[in-house]
Amino acid sequence: MAVAPPTEKSLRLATLLSRVALGDQAAFGEFYEKTSSHLYGVALRILRDPSAAEEILQEAYVNVWHHAGSYEAAKSQPLTWLTTIVRNRCLDQLRRRELDTVTLTNDDDDDAPAYDPPSDAPSPATMLMAGAEARSVRDCVDTLDAGPKQAIALAFYHGLSHSELALQLREPLGTVKSWVRRGLEKLKTCLDRAGYARAE
Amino acid sequence: MNLSRPDRPQRLDLLAAQYALGTLPARARMRLARMAQTDTVVAGALRSWEQRLSPLAEGGPPITPSPRLWKVIALRLGLEPVRAAAPALWWNRVAFWRGLALAGFVAAFALGITLLAPTPQVPEQAIVAVLVGQDAKPALIASIGRADRILTVKAVDAAVVPPDKALQLWMLPNGQPPRSLGVLPRGAVARITLPNVPEIAFANVPALAVSLEAAGGSTTGAPQGPVLYSGKLERMY
Repeated sequence: MAVAPPTEKSLRLATLLSRVALGDQAAFGEFYEKTSSHLYGVALRILRDPSAAEEILQEAYVNVWHHAGSYEAAKSQPLTWLTTIVRNRCLDQLRRRELDTVTLTNDDDDDAPAYDPPSDAPSPATMLMAGAEARSVRDCVDTLDAGPKQAIALAFYHGLSHSELALQLREPLGTVKSWVRRGLEKLKTCLDRAGYARAE
Repeated sequence: MNLSRPDRPQRLDLLAAQYALGTLPARARMRLARMAQTDTVVAGALRSWEQRLSPLAEGGPPITPSPRLWKVIALRLGLEPVRAAAPALWWNRVAFWRGLALAGFVAAFALGITLLAPTPQVPEQAIVAVLVGQDAKPALIASIGRADRILTVKAVDAAVVPPDKALQLWMLPNGQPPRSLGVLPRGAVARITLPNVPEIAFANVPALAVSLEAAGGSTTGAPQGPVLYSGKLERMY
């Protein structure tokens, strides 16, 4: 699989990880210091609950300490590797939470932990462009129409499900689903053409 | 949906895409993750999509987690108390300080010292709870020595309480309703006498919380106002 060339920061993180694998506590401290606010941002935006987000991070770093040696530099960059793990754990928990909510048909949602992003927080669409810019995938994101772009951004950064997307964007469920599907297909075609990632 | 691998490649690709994006519903999500553990084709499809979407994750702004996160991680892993070990941790980082309200500056600095360095200020065998609000920033620190009866509650960056209101401290016992520890007296440091030594008083209590109540505290024995802060009790021994 094609991986973008490592940045200076990635190289530093990979070096730190290899030292963590040898039990170097200072390296672990520095690794935490360089990665935790990025990962916490990812987790908090999805889970909207500080203590749940902290718990996911806690597990992630405990795993880093114990399994730093299993990180494969050839397959992905350190922060990408860890971000994927954290995002997946958050999404697992979020989707499971919805499953429980449906079972209990709890319509009194007042107890749900609320996360109000600060008013100066960038919109999902802005984050999508910023993320794209960071690795020159901007052209591909730019090919998306406004609707699919918005839907993909909300799903990616805030973990919205199809029905939540429909609610948020005030569109029928079917429309939102096809936006997501078409958006993803278009992204894939464009990114693969740019040699970004290719199935093995 | 079929339990076996989706036979059409397009179908698998769409499922993998939605897995990586996050929109796949719970059951389908779990099923696909399980399949990926044994089926390399499924695993490959997931990895491709995760890789493809990963640059987007860089777009979200970072948010600094509460200092207690590192403390808990270090505690769990039995790392040596941080002294000269980690060169650049949050308490000497500009971004962290900028994130704290000026009012909380001095107190938070003291907190950083007392919690993370073995100084005589906190007994070595202490129980500590860092109470945080919705923004995940520390507002109050409760601490007590293992053999003490007086719980000290320090305001780090707590809300200003109007004259007709009061902050009330609660224990959150496992599987039971909150139990009051009393109204917090006004001031930077409050002292609350526990009914017993912490090992007994906090035996089944994983966390503390603070609610905003009418002056004099809740009249029902349960929190009536909103819960402003909460935090886990951490046993530092």
